[in-house]
Amino acid sequence: MIDSLYVAWRYVTFNWARSLTLIACVTLIAVLPLSLELLLDESERQLLARAETTPLIVGAKGSSLDLTMNSLYFGDTVPELISMAAVERVSETDLALPIPLSVRFQARGFRVVGTNLDYFDYRGLRIAEGRNLGLLGDCVLGARAAAELGLAPGDSLLSSPETLFDLAGVYPLKMRVAGVLAPTQSADDLAVFVDVKTAWVIQGLVHGHQDLRDVTDPTLVMDRSDGTVTATAKLAQYTEISPENIDSFHFHGSAADYPITSVIAVPRDEKAAAILRGRYVSVDAEAETQQILVPGEVIQDLLENIFRIKSVLDAVIVVVGTATVLALTLVFALSLRLRQREMQTNFKLGCSRATIARLLGAEIVIILTASALLTGLLLAMVTHYDEPLVRALFIH
Amino acid sequence: MPDVKHTASLLAIALLLILAQLRTAEAEDRLQVYAVNYPLAYFAERIAGDLAEVRFPAPADVDPAFWMPDADTITAYQAADLILLNGADYAKWIPKVSLPRSRLVDTSRGFKDAYIRQPAGVSHNHGPGGEHAHGGVAFTTWLDLSQAAQQAEAIAQALTRKRPAAKERIERNLQVLQSELLALNERIAEIAGANPGRPLLASHPIYQYLARRYGLNLRSVMWEPDVLPSERQWAELKGILSKHPAKWMLWEGTPAEENVARLRALGLASNVLDPCANRPETGDFLSVMSDNAKNLEQVFQ
Repeated sequence: MIDSLYVAWRYVTFNWARSLTLIACVTLIAVLPLSLELLLDESERQLLARAETTPLIVGAKGSSLDLTMNSLYFGDTVPELISMAAVERVSETDLALPIPLSVRFQARGFRVVGTNLDYFDYRGLRIAEGRNLGLLGDCVLGARAAAELGLAPGDSLLSSPETLFDLAGVYPLKMRVAGVLAPTQSADDLAVFVDVKTAWVIQGLVHGHQDLRDVTDPTLVMDRSDGTVTATAKLAQYTEISPENIDSFHFHGSAADYPITSVIAVPRDEKAAAILRGRYVSVDAEAETQQILVPGEVIQDLLENIFRIKSVLDAVIVVVGTATVLALTLVFALSLRLRQREMQTNFKLGCSRATIARLLGAEIVIILTASALLTGLLLAMVTHYDEPLVRALFIH
Repeated sequence: MPDVKHTASLLAIALLLILAQLRTAEAEDRLQVYAVNYPLAYFAERIAGDLAEVRFPAPADVDPAFWMPDADTITAYQAADLILLNGADYAKWIPKVSLPRSRLVDTSRGFKDAYIRQPAGVSHNHGPGGEHAHGGVAFTTWLDLSQAAQQAEAIAQALTRKRPAAKERIERNLQVLQSELLALNERIAEIAGANPGRPLLASHPIYQYLARRYGLNLRSVMWEPDVLPSERQWAELKGILSKHPAKWMLWEGTPAEENVARLRALGLASNVLDPCANRPETGDFLSVMSDNAKNLEQVFQ
């Protein structure tokens, strides 16, 4: 048997190109469905883990998936906005802790997440460098965002305009990097966290400027009547919040009217969660403008859709695999025909038909063994890097 | 015999160590409570007793409503178990910092519908928000002592949520405090009721809740006790006096002698009604309020 394997090995290495092609074909047939399975399992785990640790989300009525993806993974699609009154609504029930989220702006390609300190406690986020959010204008970077932007506590980060052509929009805000979070292997690693009030500064709703009562430049004042000073567009707003100008930053109107994208509601217990959900099921469904979601259920629905797609993919792989196996069989059959003279020579040298069959079998064993080893190696790599692979391929 | 002494000493040391350990554990278990003004800190100290370590870190010479804490103090507030807010837009620094909402206690939330809205200040028009004004809410809510009693109750509820096992103790302390506050409330109402409608002047617009609760006929100017008013301010005062013939001006602090003398020449006597927003040099919140009541007795004689 060793002799047969030796002769087969010599044959395989002599015809290396053909052998490598066969090994690649067999490996691909095995690796593709198995790694897809592994990656889908991991993506399911990651998606569900974050969804299941987020009990309830309150947001505007509309796409539940957009609302969930925006609130959990800071997705690009911004749901319809709600106001801070939604936070008060949850708070007044005394059933759950409301955590506001404003996820709509970006800073150098990274999502700016406006929230409050309860979010950090709730997600168990730990400051690795610097300190937590303190003053208006501070930001705390996720671990990967800090690494990719090359920023550390004490540096500055400029917010990006919402649209490229927003020439009449608000000035970008120069934020102070107060701290950097420890890695969490979650969407939080890619976020730029600010206080929700800083998100309103980015939006231009909270702003600071020279006191209009002290303005002496007539070109800055359009009208001054009945105690009302109307400023011209020339009046510049501060683009950086510093200890010197922080007192000039002010809110207009009630904070309850200020916009957010959603509210994470952390109920006291399961009973409180059920009661809170009931509060959003109004008799007059038309009058209710908000929805309350269980993110785990939304993500489960999403995964069921993914698995329906996966079964189609599996079928495609089975068809392609069958075709490849048939092609490989044909390659072997044609190769046997091409090697007719070689086998005749072996026969004349005294080899029995069984020996020749053993030689061919040994070649197949070598190719399959090499494919199995390569498959194992590739699958081990996929398993090792499944978390970042899933984040790179499926969850951004 | 020496062995017995030695054993007794060892036992005594062990006992002391155990006691020290117990005290340390108890100290570590104490709630860290931060307040934004002295009245709330005082209420919390009275209600919590040794359950909590109550801190009010504003320096003695500042008005806590307009104080801005430094970064370290903000961090200390962030780390507290409870942060007692006055509500009614008090402590202008609150909207400019990040604080954990779950630990904030808005002590005047229960009567927020009763807030007194001030006339709008200068409004202006720019940016995406359209025309807007910087109106405000009167914030010295505790000067209506019945409201102060409600704020104390809100503190007691928050402490009970944090330490449910100490509910009875907290309620007992609250009742004592509330009875003292309400007794003083009755006393001031009685004093003010002796001469209702008597015109009074205030040096600063901070007595809105006091005036509403006790029916004071009060008008305010914008003076500081230790700053000499300008001639324009004196002229404005004379204008007010022509329509509002007050005989007394109430000051938030001891006024400068020059001010007292010039007011006296106008027929106005001065008296102090300390809002006690910051920790007093002597006494406590109730003793200051009691002094205020005595001063009001002179005013309403």
